[in-house]
Amino acid sequence: MSGYIKIDNVRKVFRKDDRDTVAIENISLEIGKNELVSILGPSGCGKTTVLRMIAGLVEPSGGEILVDGNKVTGPGPDRGMVFQDFALFPWRSVWKNVEFGLEVAGMPKAQRDEKVERYLEIVGLTDFADARVHELSGGMKQRVGIARAMVNNPKVVLMDEPFGSLDAQTRNIMQAGLIKILDKTDQTIVFVTHSVDEAVFLSDRIVILTKRPATIKEIINIPWPRPRDRASPEFTALRKRILTELEKENVMN
Amino acid sequence: MRIKYDNENKLHRFGRYILISAVSLLVLLYVWWMVSIILGTPAIPAPPRVWDAFIHLLNHGDVVTGYSMWDHIVASLKRFAIAFVIAFAVAVPLGLLIGMSKTLDDFTRPILEVLRPIAPIAWAPVLVFAIDRTWGPILVVFIGIFFPLLTNTVFGVKKIESNLMDASRTLGANKAQTFYKVMFPCTVPYIMNGIKIGLGIGWMCIIAAEMVAPYGGGLGYFISMHAFNGSWPYVFVGIILISILGLLTIGLAERAHKIIAKRTGME
Ligand SMILES: Nc1ncnc2c1ncn2[C@@H]1O[C@H](COP(=O)(O)OP(=O)(O)OP(=O)(O)O)[C@@H](O)[C@H]1O
Ligand SMILES: [Mg+2]
Repeated sequence: MSGYIKIDNVRKVFRKDDRDTVAIENISLEIGKNELVSILGPSGCGKTTVLRMIAGLVEPSGGEILVDGNKVTGPGPDRGMVFQDFALFPWRSVWKNVEFGLEVAGMPKAQRDEKVERYLEIVGLTDFADARVHELSGGMKQRVGIARAMVNNPKVVLMDEPFGSLDAQTRNIMQAGLIKILDKTDQTIVFVTHSVDEAVFLSDRIVILTKRPATIKEIINIPWPRPRDRASPEFTALRKRILTELEKENVMN
Repeated sequence: MRIKYDNENKLHRFGRYILISAVSLLVLLYVWWMVSIILGTPAIPAPPRVWDAFIHLLNHGDVVTGYSMWDHIVASLKRFAIAFVIAFAVAVPLGLLIGMSKTLDDFTRPILEVLRPIAPIAWAPVLVFAIDRTWGPILVVFIGIFFPLLTNTVFGVKKIESNLMDASRTLGANKAQTFYKVMFPCTVPYIMNGIKIGLGIGWMCIIAAEMVAPYGGGLGYFISMHAFNGSWPYVFVGIILISILGLLTIGLAERAHKIIAKRTGME
């Protein structure tokens, strides 16, 4: 299974009421198979837009995006997305939410059941299979979102601040959980976050964007094995360095 | 002996509700009775005379039209139900389509805006003459239910969180699958709301339409025949039956709405 993303000279201009907003200014980036790349940047710089363009939900105004050599022209099950506000289907149970992708793909029932069961187990929600979405905590909802995206076995998983609304402790648990899932799968992950700590903890590479219009400011390689020790000196030092970089892009300046 | 009212106690709450409702209705009865005494017109009979008429109607049927009370009720409900089914079958799919297509929305808007302010009953004479006495009144009710149902369905589609549609598409659903697996369930609460409003308006329409086209039984027919004859206590029996049946239909819709909201996890 592959999942090689090539973002080639992509621009995005939003036109609204005859006013143009340049969200992305010529970004080029290659993300390799089985890599976890985080995107960091000031609020409103265009991080979500980058993900939505890879997903095929938003069309670039210039340039193109290729996944395994094929131009992205629309959404597809090969690129799963985990949404910041969960975007779960409230009329479906946890089980049926996870089953959605398999259902629309026309997979036979027995096979579906087996897969859903396995992914619910991975995210630790086996006991909540029949629960309704509104009965779940934020962390549980996001785990459903992750299982729902992963069960399709997409080549690329796009995660938009998936842990952004969680408290610090739940967040740490979810990060550790994600690392465990990554060990078992070989997907390419593009991960948007506001948390430098989270990015350093999880990523193979961190892409720092400038404030709008967004360009790539810096790309940082992190070759350390996971799980990483947050208290180690190199962890703290890197975190500090990135924070200083981001501070310069502060929209308020 | 004094019993302290306890808001947490289900029995107390229920007792309070019953008591207040009963007093409220007694006040209504009192006002009616007073008005009938003060005006002294036969058109507003006192409650006991209406009660006698009701008992007579139950035991001997409606001597003026030759139908029983149940025949009249069933006739009205039947028209109402047919109109509702047709209105639902037309308004909901149309509303989903209008909500999805801006062109269709822009195209149908002028037509709907022009037709909407017309009280459905204004169509009754036209429809009864143009079609017939059976389908004319049904179509009047159809119009009454159609508009609120359509408006609410369109509104529901426009209210769908774009995120849910996006999620559906990134999970591999095609347009048709997104339509019936995401859009339709999303609009169900709004459709239910449209049904509730539509039933209220439709129920008013059926009575009015039957008064315009007095034929084949029905509560509107019953009322208009007795008003014509000056048998006012029977007119009042008809009016009260309308109220009770209206309450029952809307209560039923209310109940269905609650159950569906619960089952779909969307309140
Ligand atoms: N559909 C749209 N129409 C018009 N402008 C848009 C649209 N989507 C995004 N934008 C604009 O593009 C810019 C980037 O938005 P985007 O949501 O990608 O930022 P972000 O980096 O994800 O922000 P945040 O950190 O707050 O989530 C913003 O100025 C936003 O107003
Ligand atoms: Mg964003």
